Amino acid sequence: MTLKYLIRKEFLQIRRNAFLPRLIFGFPIVIMCVMPWVMNMEVKNVVVDVVDNDRSVASQQLVHNIEASQYFIFNGQKPTYQYALTEIEKGQADVVLVIPPNYSHDLVEGRKPQLLIAANAVNGTKGSIGSAYLSQIVTAQVMPQASAIQSQVSTLLLYNKHQNYKLFMIPALLAIVMMLMTGFLPTLNIVGEKEAGTIEQINVTPVSKWSFILAKLIPYWLIALFIITASLLLAWAIYGLTSAGPIWLIYLLSMLLALFFSSLGLIISNYSDSMQQAIFVMWFFVVCIMLLSGLFTPTRSMPDWAYLTTYVNPMHYFIDAIRTVFIRGGHFAAISHQVFALLGIGLFMAFWAVQSYKKNH
Amino acid sequence: MMNAIEVKGVSKHYGKVQALQDVSFSVGKGEVFGLIGPDGAGKTTLFRTLCTLLLPDKGTALVDGFDTVRQMKEIRQRVGYMPGRFSLYQDLTVEENLKFFATLFGTTVEAGYDSIKAIYSQIERFKDRKAGALSGGMKQKLALSCALVHQPSVLFLDEPTTGVDPVSRKELWKMLLMLREQGITIMASTPYLDEVRRCERVAFLDQGQIRGIDTPEVILEQFKDIFNPPGIEATVTQNKEQENVIEVEHLVKAFGDFHAVDDISFSVKRGEIFGFLGANGAGKTTAMHMLTGLNQPTSGTGRVVGYDIRTEYEQIKRHIGYMSQRFSLYEDLTVAENIWLFAGIYGMKDAEIKVKTDRLLEQLKFTEHKDDLVASLPLGWKQKLAFSVSIFHEPGVVFLDEPTGGVDPATRRQFWELIYEAAGRGITVFVTTHYMDEAEYCDRISIMVDGKISAMGTPNELKQRFGQPDMDHVFTYLARQATRSSD
Repeated sequence: MTLKYLIRKEFLQIRRNAFLPRLIFGFPIVIMCVMPWVMNMEVKNVVVDVVDNDRSVASQQLVHNIEASQYFIFNGQKPTYQYALTEIEKGQADVVLVIPPNYSHDLVEGRKPQLLIAANAVNGTKGSIGSAYLSQIVTAQVMPQASAIQSQVSTLLLYNKHQNYKLFMIPALLAIVMMLMTGFLPTLNIVGEKEAGTIEQINVTPVSKWSFILAKLIPYWLIALFIITASLLLAWAIYGLTSAGPIWLIYLLSMLLALFFSSLGLIISNYSDSMQQAIFVMWFFVVCIMLLSGLFTPTRSMPDWAYLTTYVNPMHYFIDAIRTVFIRGGHFAAISHQVFALLGIGLFMAFWAVQSYKKNH
Repeated sequence: MMNAIEVKGVSKHYGKVQALQDVSFSVGKGEVFGLIGPDGAGKTTLFRTLCTLLLPDKGTALVDGFDTVRQMKEIRQRVGYMPGRFSLYQDLTVEENLKFFATLFGTTVEAGYDSIKAIYSQIERFKDRKAGALSGGMKQKLALSCALVHQPSVLFLDEPTTGVDPVSRKELWKMLLMLREQGITIMASTPYLDEVRRCERVAFLDQGQIRGIDTPEVILEQFKDIFNPPGIEATVTQNKEQENVIEVEHLVKAFGDFHAVDDISFSVKRGEIFGFLGANGAGKTTAMHMLTGLNQPTSGTGRVVGYDIRTEYEQIKRHIGYMSQRFSLYEDLTVAENIWLFAGIYGMKDAEIKVKTDRLLEQLKFTEHKDDLVASLPLGWKQKLAFSVSIFHEPGVVFLDEPTGGVDPATRRQFWELIYEAAGRGITVFVTTHYMDEAEYCDRISIMVDGKISAMGTPNELKQRFGQPDMDHVFTYLARQATRSSD
């Protein structure tokens, strides 16, 4: 029964806070309206310099093909390779294409002309994907038969047909929402009570451990649910993206992730005496968990020892499962393995959290 | 001769609140000048203005001949400021704190050593200890050393002795008088009357205005309603029931080799007001934490309201009230919400809470402030409210840990009226305090020294036993025997 009073207190305090209520409403809007456009790994707008040593109809044709592509920005013809390289050094161009002097001649004679593509690979993805696109265009002209073979191989992209990056990122954004709302906020709240000294007052009252902890978590869980709902609605309204699988699975997965992050936060707050310490420790774990989860990079390409950590990384299970549900439309059977793993890790952390909170030393 | 401090018509307001209104006074070189007044009178605002931390809205202030607005740099080189609390870095050691403050003023500990030697030598042997681990009295000495390391000519002390035991307070003032002999001007605020009397002149500040400046005797006489309220006649307490509410035997709490509480035994009867005195670091708070179920004793037994403190501490928590020296109410909740929350925690029903809340607020004359945030209330009100909340569920015992720290005498008296009223209803009051006039109000007192109870009895018994005129002398007499100054 005391829970009711404690939860009401938390909501009052959240409402009194000058900043939190605005954050709660602003958060889903920023996450859904801005981030899907920004968190985009497609490579576009690669700036190309062309050094045309041939100056024939065929080489002009090639240049036109590049100009027409939506992936490239044609930066004009350059007199020499050296000149083009200095532009790369200055950051004015990303890729240089050098057309050899006898290009059209070789083409007509049936010899294979040698073209040079030099790419700035400081940004690895942009460099490699940019040069790959470029060589596709070149191949199409130099060896039409080769690209004909390519078109014989049919690639079937399953589930996310248009390779829509937004569809891929939205589930990941939901994970970040859960992490911030159910991990950070309750932790900071508890450490704040420690710093203000009010926690001592609560510890001499008959409030049980469980009531205290639940009263700290429930408000933020409800807020997180609200934000998730708002985010899903926004994704539908703005991008027309909806979950392919049952929506209740998305909520189930989010709640399991909330269980983990809340417990992690509680454990950290139980061992921290200052806001600074709590924030820093929390950040450390959160960054590790995120980068090792496959949220941004495929986990299979990690080294083996790093891949092993994904077995205990709840974010990894969550991302896997929610993408399965949201994009592929998987049902419970498809993600049961991840659900149980999440539940297991969450319960372990929750047990630890309750054990480490002591009203009596 | 030029005055050390010259204030002319200074006003300052925050939003609608007029913190200072047309304040004018002057302090001569080498004078010890006291600033007294109730909470929220504007004392801290005045200090901060003189230290160039705040700009006055109107008027001018000169410190050591320099203008606080235009010549900030010169003033900051010449003044030392010791705010009431938190002026030290708790996780730096004693020496690191001192070095840090020396560096701030572009000097070194060695260069300023002569001016702080008398004070710093008393704590120098603990120089590798973290400031947070020092006792209240030693923290004050360190803070004073830090404020003096750049050899200031004017020293501002904003309630330097709040939460400090009487012996340490006496030592601090001895040092201040020593500094005056070196020609340092001292301006200090304090809620303690014995400290007020040590000043040469005092200004009484109330609601942002100076009501009077004169010698302490004249001011205390002129405003005796506020500073020297008539003592409370202790209600006749003959018919105390004989039932013990707190029983403690051979209680020990050890942290490693250090025995914070070292074998104490006592009992408290129902409806009694039990004063639990002791110097800073004598072990009072630790003992109280064991009785309230926050800490487990290392050895010994204890029962509070009939429950064992080792095993049944959750039951104890149901039947006690507690008010700590730190603010125990939520500052971002209103008065009514705080009452509602704590009453709810103790399992009271909504309807009951509502009726009792209205009655309580009426009694405290708080009804119109029902929906005010606690943060906006003056300190004295917060403390009265915190006490009322801690006994709202009619506990068997209420534990008060320095409930009146930093409050003016008139408010403290009102607070004690509430305590008497609670005791009259049969609530046992277990209270720690550093105000010896409050000790006289208690039915029975124990004085802890070095983790042990060195004396226990009614105030009159103790005075007779040790042949001292008042509790202040009894306390000083006993506390001076302490050997454990390290904590």
